[in-house]
Amino acid sequence: MYGKGLRPLSIATVVAIAAALSLTFFYAPLDADQGFIQKIFYLHVPLAIVALCGFVAGGVFAILHLRSGERRWDAYSYVAIHMSVIFGVAVLVTGSIWAKASWGHWWVWDEPTLVSFLIVFLMYATYYPFRYAIEDPERQARYASVFAVTAGAFVPLNFMAVRLAESLVHPRVFATTSGGLPGSMMLTFLVSLLAMGLLWLTLVKLELTAKSASGQLKRLRRAIDAPLPGGGSRIAPEVS
Amino acid sequence: MDFLPLAAPALPLDEAGKYVAGAYVVFLVLVLIYVAIMAAKLQRIERELKELAGFAENRANGEIAAPGRGSEEPSISDSLAPRGAEEAASDV
Repeated sequence: MYGKGLRPLSIATVVAIAAALSLTFFYAPLDADQGFIQKIFYLHVPLAIVALCGFVAGGVFAILHLRSGERRWDAYSYVAIHMSVIFGVAVLVTGSIWAKASWGHWWVWDEPTLVSFLIVFLMYATYYPFRYAIEDPERQARYASVFAVTAGAFVPLNFMAVRLAESLVHPRVFATTSGGLPGSMMLTFLVSLLAMGLLWLTLVKLELTAKSASGQLKRLRRAIDAPLPGGGSRIAPEVS
Repeated sequence: MDFLPLAAPALPLDEAGKYVAGAYVVFLVLVLIYVAIMAAKLQRIERELKELAGFAENRANGEIAAPGRGSEEPSISDSLAPRGAEEAASDV
């Protein structure tokens, strides 16, 4: 069920990533201030946007789980958060590399955008031990959903707080009165954003497919009365 | 206004290239690690399915011992795998 459409989605993702890389390195002009190092922008910013949207999506799925009680929404929420945490790692690493090249430091503590993303990331890093700590699957799913809703609501609030904050360090390239991104850079950025969004979606679908197969396998083992010692993954919700 | 990124001079191409390549390689490595983990997981599922298919066939033939991790019996070997399973796998 979850594997349906995975192949065309994967192909679309590969095409979009190839287009994004081509535009980044062969079409988008060099930035007048930062030069070649600004190419990291087309990787770092889309990753960050997709990761944050993924966290919010995890919260929305958690709401659906709490409303309906269906375990599949909990699985969606878990996988969305899981994938966004992985994207978050990439955001932090690529951001640090960019910071080192641009500012001469791997990390700048008085920059609200960096610190706020780190706070969001660390908050979601606690999601796993939180899930692990609860044995009962029903309670685990319910408490994890409450966590996902609360944390998901924090993400846009955090984003707005950072946008309102006056920053002298982090460049604001969207919706600025001084012009923002030129057309060619904006096109490259939008294609990169689409590519990262598709990658996130493909990996989420792949993870759900694997979990579904694993869940079906467990059901099959139970059905033929061959107990599975260890019971498979404790944190990962079963998808049937 | 003295914005730090604007104040910092643009790095020469050869030096900036290292950082840009580093960022993209880190991303690629992360994706590859994830895909490798998923591939290992799917291989395990495939192996277990093969065992269960073998067990189902054995049971249909009158044997009752459950194979695989939950049983005291050793896992079924490939030679006991249902006939045609390899052919079916190769067709996919």
